[in-house]
Amino acid sequence: MKDDYTGPILEIDQLSISFFTRLREIPAVMDFSVTVQPGEAVGLVGESGCGKSTVALGVMQDLGKNGRIVGGTIKFKGRDLNAMSQEELRDIRGSQIAMIYQEPMASLNPAMKIGKQLMEVPMIHAGASEKEAYDRALQVVTDVKLPDPRRILNSYPHQLSGGQQQRIVIAMALMAEPSLLILDEPTTALDVTVEAAVVELVKELGQKYGTSMLFISHNLGLVLETCDRICVMYSGEAVETGSIEDVFDKMQHPYTQALFRSIPLPGADKNARPLVAIPGNFPLPHERPPGCNFGPRCDYFEAGRCDGMERIPMARIEGDDRHFSRCLKFGEIDWHAPPANVQTKEKSEPGRVVLKMDNLKKYYEVAANALFGGSGATKVVKANETLSFEARESETLAIVGESGCGKSTFAKVLMGLETATDGQILLDNRNIESTPIEARDTQTIADVQMVFQNPFDTLNPSMSVGRQIMRALEIFEHGNSDAERREEMLRLLDLVKLPRAFADRMPRQLSGGQKQRVGIARAFAGGARIVVADEPVSALDVSVQAAVTDLLMEIQREQKTTLLFISHDLSIVRYLSDRVMVMYLGHVVELGDTDQVFSPPYHPYTEALLSAVPIADTRVEKQHIVLEGDIPSAMNPPPGCPFQTRCRWKSKVPGGLCDKDVPPVRMLAQGHQIKCHLADEELAQMQPVIKIAAE
Amino acid sequence: MDPLTWTGSLGTVLNPILFILVPLFAVAVLARIVLSMFEPDIGSKANADGTLVATGGIWTLSQRLVGWLGLAVLALVLAYLIFGAVMGTAAGIIGGMSQAFTPVWIALLVTFVVSIRFKRKLGLYGKLFDSTIGMIGFGIVMFWVFTAIFTGVFDLIATHDPLSQASGMKNKVPGTPLRGAEEGEFQWYLLGGDNLARDVFSRMVYGSTVVIVIAPFATLFAFMVGITLGLPAGYYGGRLDLGLSFLANLVLAFPVILLFYLLVTPEIVATGLPQFMAVVLFVFPMIFFGVLIHARYRTQPGKDYLYLAIVLVPLFLSYMSAINETGSKIDFWPIDLFDINSGILVVFVSVVFVNSPTVFRIVRGLALDIKTRDYVAAAQTRGERPWYIMLWEILPNARGPLIVDFCLRIGYTTILLGTLGFFGLGLPPESPDWGSTINEGRKLLSIYLHPALPPALALLSLVLGLNLLADGLREESLRD
Repeated sequence: MKDDYTGPILEIDQLSISFFTRLREIPAVMDFSVTVQPGEAVGLVGESGCGKSTVALGVMQDLGKNGRIVGGTIKFKGRDLNAMSQEELRDIRGSQIAMIYQEPMASLNPAMKIGKQLMEVPMIHAGASEKEAYDRALQVVTDVKLPDPRRILNSYPHQLSGGQQQRIVIAMALMAEPSLLILDEPTTALDVTVEAAVVELVKELGQKYGTSMLFISHNLGLVLETCDRICVMYSGEAVETGSIEDVFDKMQHPYTQALFRSIPLPGADKNARPLVAIPGNFPLPHERPPGCNFGPRCDYFEAGRCDGMERIPMARIEGDDRHFSRCLKFGEIDWHAPPANVQTKEKSEPGRVVLKMDNLKKYYEVAANALFGGSGATKVVKANETLSFEARESETLAIVGESGCGKSTFAKVLMGLETATDGQILLDNRNIESTPIEARDTQTIADVQMVFQNPFDTLNPSMSVGRQIMRALEIFEHGNSDAERREEMLRLLDLVKLPRAFADRMPRQLSGGQKQRVGIARAFAGGARIVVADEPVSALDVSVQAAVTDLLMEIQREQKTTLLFISHDLSIVRYLSDRVMVMYLGHVVELGDTDQVFSPPYHPYTEALLSAVPIADTRVEKQHIVLEGDIPSAMNPPPGCPFQTRCRWKSKVPGGLCDKDVPPVRMLAQGHQIKCHLADEELAQMQPVIKIAAE
Repeated sequence: MDPLTWTGSLGTVLNPILFILVPLFAVAVLARIVLSMFEPDIGSKANADGTLVATGGIWTLSQRLVGWLGLAVLALVLAYLIFGAVMGTAAGIIGGMSQAFTPVWIALLVTFVVSIRFKRKLGLYGKLFDSTIGMIGFGIVMFWVFTAIFTGVFDLIATHDPLSQASGMKNKVPGTPLRGAEEGEFQWYLLGGDNLARDVFSRMVYGSTVVIVIAPFATLFAFMVGITLGLPAGYYGGRLDLGLSFLANLVLAFPVILLFYLLVTPEIVATGLPQFMAVVLFVFPMIFFGVLIHARYRTQPGKDYLYLAIVLVPLFLSYMSAINETGSKIDFWPIDLFDINSGILVVFVSVVFVNSPTVFRIVRGLALDIKTRDYVAAAQTRGERPWYIMLWEILPNARGPLIVDFCLRIGYTTILLGTLGFFGLGLPPESPDWGSTINEGRKLLSIYLHPALPPALALLSLVLGLNLLADGLREESLRD
């Protein structure tokens, strides 16, 4: 399918896309231009709802019934896609333009074997014979580095892990050697270490096949790692485009700057570079302000000028390579000035120990045979293996690990939804490990509360916000009358900085960040002293993440709360935690102060995790460690060290110790422990993963 | 008195139009179907005002033609009804019927005007008026509901007594004048007489009261039973789920008609089995509301007992009155407020009995899904009791599918009632319910069509209306 076309692969010129509802026209994308040269990877970055996926669907000409391209052109290899008939489009889709979606399982037909699905592509588009198609499928599956390609081709999608499925989707997209690959958040559903491997693969394949890429993501770090050029979108418009270096280092739009200031960088110190949240909310598509869309939230806003015209045009920045900004004032702003009105806050000192875990174990018995359970042999899943740590008053302890590492099980045991198999949990020197939640007294329940991950799921959709907080107050036996509780509820809304009017709103009327604030207010209704925050910000947009994180830390300062912060995002962990606990397959592999964990010597898994985190800073040099394979199933853990199947240091341990024995817990320094067989000399030789290049 | 024609004097004007329009419409629809097989992608373009216009030659033309002709036919039908309501029997049988239904038309008009006026403030009910299908369904259902109310409560619509016979009216065709009609009495049998010389129209109208009273109530009871058992089955899972699901499957596997025959057999009735079933099935609403209130106000005992008393005392009194009947197996309760006709009780019990397992399964499935949500986990971690979680966290969020199923299930129940009536089970033989009338009309079907058709069409239209209403609700509830 190679042809001689040499011009740009994709030229989007002043594209406008609108959706039409019964009430009004909703402009989703306005005046959007981008050019993708052959072999180039362009990143499309923005918060949810900014129109980045709509652009991708526009390129595919798949906007659904009520979506329409209302202006501009999309040229693919010089041909206008808007003017093509359905048949011509069908020819192009899948063979010349391929798309990879976020959810791999949803892109694969669950009732069809992988091989068959892959073979369809050349058979439909190139009229290949079954034999040729099979050979091609085998080759592509080998290319995406899946082990045992023949077995994979002969299996169904559900037999593969999420990472493997996404590799298959990538393989399918590459079957026809497309000229343009559109990736719509291809790694959002994957774990960090798996994500790193997939991103690595995409990059490599892009170079190997010479495919141009349009990479859509909300993660600036990922874009930095994969793309040559970047286009930042805000509220339906491209606000800044340019090469990665220009945009990251010499940004020329206030929104880009605000975005960078609101994400934590693991290389930077939190006192030197505190997070700055973007004030205000994302405008709804039909409530956009006149003039600059970012105006109402912009620090440099100038009334009468920024909102003086219908729409701000893109302006070229002289001296840079195709660097544009949609700002009237970019020439006047001092881009190197430190952020204004930032106050660094004193961190309160950790107090006495409130929570102590001692050799906590949680095993599940799983019947080997679901239908005739009980008669057959039972398998034991070791969800938590000898968990020991202490948490102090007003301390933040981060629990880091990927899915299946046992952090949710630990949270359940702590909350009393499950009881521990062995060991003890001491809350104020009282044992609570075998007290289920029904048997706990109100004060204990109110003391230990939880903030959940998914903001769209954390509130009951059919109960008003105020009602839900008041219910928590009722349960915690707070206040004597409805009026008192209502007063207290309004105070809680103040605490999480939500307007009091929100009490009567339904959850669907709130944005993700606001819902998360309500979730926090609800958790603090009983004056919680220990709050388990299960990835409280990972599902939020970056600009909102900073605000919610700050809120949590502020409440912690005021109320001396012990925060158990579960996360896989090491950037944010470094930013806010005092101590870090790294978990893998139910084991605590490393535990120590934040500085101890983030600097060598590392546990090999911590090292890999650190390397996998995408960092949106061009000055950072990362050591490149890609873990092979997927996380083993907790049902069937490897013998010996849990991490031995993916460890790159395994060969350094003599005598095959890693295969045989679970490593003992070793103290490296005061309060720093790791679970590894590596000799002290080897550990001492470890290099820091993240280095900031000297300027 | 002359016999009435179908359209009377109105027909001389409107009938010719009808005879032209209907074939035209039929041809247009046919052409549209044939053409659509060769239809290319029709391009559509956006207008400045934000609407979409499809453009594309003969295909669009046929589409528009079907639309306009359909509207014209609809307008004509409306004209028949409106002029009929004004002119009465001068506009023939249709006019006579339309006039008889005048209170229903007015009530429908008021309902629609008020609802559409305030539809943005009325939640899901208001959204129904955004969907054409939903509006049509709602209109048909409300037509029968109003008919039942005006007939049963105000005795307005029926032209004659549904049970009284008139001499010489046996099997007379529609529009036959009543022989020897007295002053003030309606002069015609609008839809003719049945083989016992009773007015078919009035019987059809009275039949609606039976359905409209029993079907929604029986369905409501089935929902109470299904929800009260389905929620714990889905929430707890395990052995409880296994046991309850097995029971549900057992009931579902039992041949329904056989069950009905068994329940109405005098020997079985004499053993008191239907009454004992009622004892079990009717207790569920009390359990449901009791648990509902207690779970919510557990932490505030004062309010808890007050609300429990307000709700449970009347419920308990009606429960005892419902199951207690003098001279039957259960006859000990002194304050018997009302009696339920034993035939109706049997019908009610059997309908609830066969419907509740299906509801159980739906609720169980929804509970299984919703219990994995974070807000359920949040409720658990703040120490809520299981029944609060089931009834206040899970149930309200399962309401969408349940409301849709409720509408559909009233339709099934209506058909079930028709079936029961058709077999003469439960209800008294002279009862004007639609199933019984269809069965009576069936016997002379090859000679006289008119006694069997009206109740059959009535049944059809009500069930169709309920199904359309359910479709509209589903469409609108998915949209949010």
